[in-house]
Amino acid sequence: MRLAGFYLFAAGVALLPVLFPDNYFVTVVGASAGLHVILAVGLNLLMGYAGQISLGHAAFFGMGAYASAILTTRFAWPGLLAMAAGLLVAGVIAWLFARPILRLRGHYLAMATLGFGIIIHVIMVQAMQWTGGPDGLAGIPPLNLLGWTIEGDEQWYGVIAAAMLLTIWLSLNIVDSRMGRALRAVRGSEFAAQMMGVDTARAKTQVFVVSALFAAFAGSLFAHQQAFVSPDSFNLMVSVELVTMVVLGGMASTFGAACGAIALTLLHQGLVVFEDYEMLIHGGLLMVVMIFLPQGLFVGLSQGARRGWANLRSRAA
Amino acid sequence: MNRTLHLLTVEGLEQSFGGVMALAGVSFQTPESLIYAIIGPNGAGKTTLFNVLCGFYPPTAGSLCFNGQELRGLPPHRIAALGIARTFQNLQLFFNMTVLENVMVGGHLRARTGLLATALRLPRVRREEQQLREWAREALELCELADRAEYPAGALPYGLMKRVEIARALAAKPRLLLLDEPAAGLNDTETMALRDLIQRIRATGITVLLVEHHMPLVMSVSDRLLVLDYGSVLAEGTPADIQVDPRVIAAYLGGAVQYAV
Amino acid sequence: MPEQLFQFLVTGVTVGSLYALVGLGFALIYNASDVVNFAQGEFVMLGAMTAISLLAAGWPLVLAAIAATLLTVLVGLLLERFAIEPAWGASVVATIIMTIGAAIFLRGVALLLWGKDFHALPPFSGDTPLHLGSATLLPQSLWVLGGAVLLVTLVHAFLNRTLMGKALLACSFNRAAAQLVGINVKVMLRLAYGLSAGLGAIAGILIAPITFSSYEAGIMLGLKGFSAAIVGGIGNPMGAVAGGLLLGVLEALGAGLISSGYKDAIAFLFVLMVLFFEPTGLFGHKVAERV
Repeated sequence: MRLAGFYLFAAGVALLPVLFPDNYFVTVVGASAGLHVILAVGLNLLMGYAGQISLGHAAFFGMGAYASAILTTRFAWPGLLAMAAGLLVAGVIAWLFARPILRLRGHYLAMATLGFGIIIHVIMVQAMQWTGGPDGLAGIPPLNLLGWTIEGDEQWYGVIAAAMLLTIWLSLNIVDSRMGRALRAVRGSEFAAQMMGVDTARAKTQVFVVSALFAAFAGSLFAHQQAFVSPDSFNLMVSVELVTMVVLGGMASTFGAACGAIALTLLHQGLVVFEDYEMLIHGGLLMVVMIFLPQGLFVGLSQGARRGWANLRSRAA
Repeated sequence: MNRTLHLLTVEGLEQSFGGVMALAGVSFQTPESLIYAIIGPNGAGKTTLFNVLCGFYPPTAGSLCFNGQELRGLPPHRIAALGIARTFQNLQLFFNMTVLENVMVGGHLRARTGLLATALRLPRVRREEQQLREWAREALELCELADRAEYPAGALPYGLMKRVEIARALAAKPRLLLLDEPAAGLNDTETMALRDLIQRIRATGITVLLVEHHMPLVMSVSDRLLVLDYGSVLAEGTPADIQVDPRVIAAYLGGAVQYAV
Repeated sequence: MPEQLFQFLVTGVTVGSLYALVGLGFALIYNASDVVNFAQGEFVMLGAMTAISLLAAGWPLVLAAIAATLLTVLVGLLLERFAIEPAWGASVVATIIMTIGAAIFLRGVALLLWGKDFHALPPFSGDTPLHLGSATLLPQSLWVLGGAVLLVTLVHAFLNRTLMGKALLACSFNRAAAQLVGINVKVMLRLAYGLSAGLGAIAGILIAPITFSSYEAGIMLGLKGFSAAIVGGIGNPMGAVAGGLLLGVLEALGAGLISSGYKDAIAFLFVLMVLFFEPTGLFGHKVAERV
């Protein structure tokens, strides 16, 4: 069955709070992981499948968050409407930005997306009347879903888990389709893809917009869940983290990206105990993983496991 | 002569790259359902001709008329939509996919569903997937690659990879198929198999434009030949005519050699 | 207004010299290894912070500067040996993450060694501002400009006049061919990293009396240096220098004429504009693909 793995994963996510009730780790860290999964899955469509690089993805995450924050606090818009506005803004900006940028390759593309991310971040910090500047915006009202107000960690876990499963499902559908193959074709060979009738510029733009929409969606949820936003959550380091999640997960795999996101979220929770050494260990780990497992943690581990198994079998024979 | 009788009409095609005239006024016409070979020494402009035909760069002068439609100025994906498919001299397979997936991409334009329908996996997406799979399998059958469908594209021997490219182009159900040096790197057995394949392709009604250096293959499989030299047309005609043409012999064949027709 | 403009230009060229040196480091490493070393900015920070510490420990300025530079060069060589070399052949994205990881690691080390405080070096020749027409100039700026000019000239001469320098450039054009003519690519790699680290360290020491250094000083500097290299066409050392100067001047003009809060945004907007019109930088190699 095509979606067997998905249903298994969904079951696991649903069971987690049941098996560990009243557990901060599950609900709060789980919610954080869930948002990261949405971000990573969207970015994976762009990087893993279409083969583009984006070092500025946190900008779209921020656009969704700030749209929700500003519209609900300053203009008293209902939450869902603000979220829709955030999606629209992110989508339009992504669409405008994609055409000129996606002609670039390699390090030039990395630079362009990096620059884009920094520009958006500077705006978040400087446009004080709108964004509240470096201190951010507090007092974001809870999200109201057609009558039901989401309050409390358990409810947020449920909402974010549902949102995460939705985005994974959408991503799986896109990947396993004519469009998904077209995207992978663009990565495989742009010339050949064009000769097969794929409008490569349009395909790259579409996937860029989709990944921006996923990020903005996560941003809106984030703003309501935290009831507070500040530019610190949307800077270059966050973009780098997202890219790392996708690469760690093995690129070109929706579940890989999800696992990468979960692994890195847990890692950061674990590193907090090291306090002053956190940065050093974080940097060291990034280096080590990229040196030894550049094709991703899960591809690398599964290959290693296969080799180990083959060794055992040949020794037993 | 009535232009619509010919599938492809090329007139006065010129292509210069910063002073180098790769194509200096090439004109020819191809009727339908035949194998039309383009030969000539290296640098004669054969692959440039293909690239211009496919829209990778616009010609500096001249016109290209396919099925009554002017090709000049159209981007590659629009030209593909008109019914032209090609293989590449330097293998351009999608190595990040399986053989079947590669060939399914060939069928890209034969389906229509948009992004939203795809993301929501509406029923017509499922039907479309099945249809694309069938068409791909048909193309693989024609190329005798059906048993390798699930292999990663890069895991095949070189000769078979070239055939996957042909299958992929066929999956697009083109009217005109451009083969760019399909025999390069193949041994004699593989070349014979290629010859049979090209004849099978012609039998389905597709017009084949073939750029090749392998003279025995060209002479035995082509219906007509175009000989290019330094970007100009040197001669045009049947294999029998070309083989004895003194200008062709002087420029390219290097001595009167009889190839089995 | 013109007097203000001149002042901005002076500031811009000073900052631009710094970006030029950092960008030069990026270009040299990219030439030798096709890797963009995001830890380049940290070399600047390490040079400055080490010099500051040695000076505080009683060392005379010149010795502190030399020792700091040599130590940073050592760090650069270690980075090459233990991080870059083992990661040979990894994808563009993987190497980007790896060098960012190295940058974070070095920042972490700096955090442990020096904490979060800001430090500065005393100016080399006093701090009475000089007057150049209507603009004021810190004497330290002359050190920065002079140092940059000297270093760039030396590097340029090295790359174009010496055999080793030409060998380094050859690696960027075609590594396989370079190896076939007997160039030891590994040695070139180490040379590039050592040289870049040294350039960064000296740049850091020169600018330390003007800007405050902290463990975080390398981040934005690294990004601006990368931008300089990109604007100049990645892999073109002199292009990176030109890019750095251009970036510095435009940033200073933007900060002065439009808004100083948005100066970083203006700088990166400039970079995006360049990339929009010249996808491979102003002086970069145009890459054509054979079909």
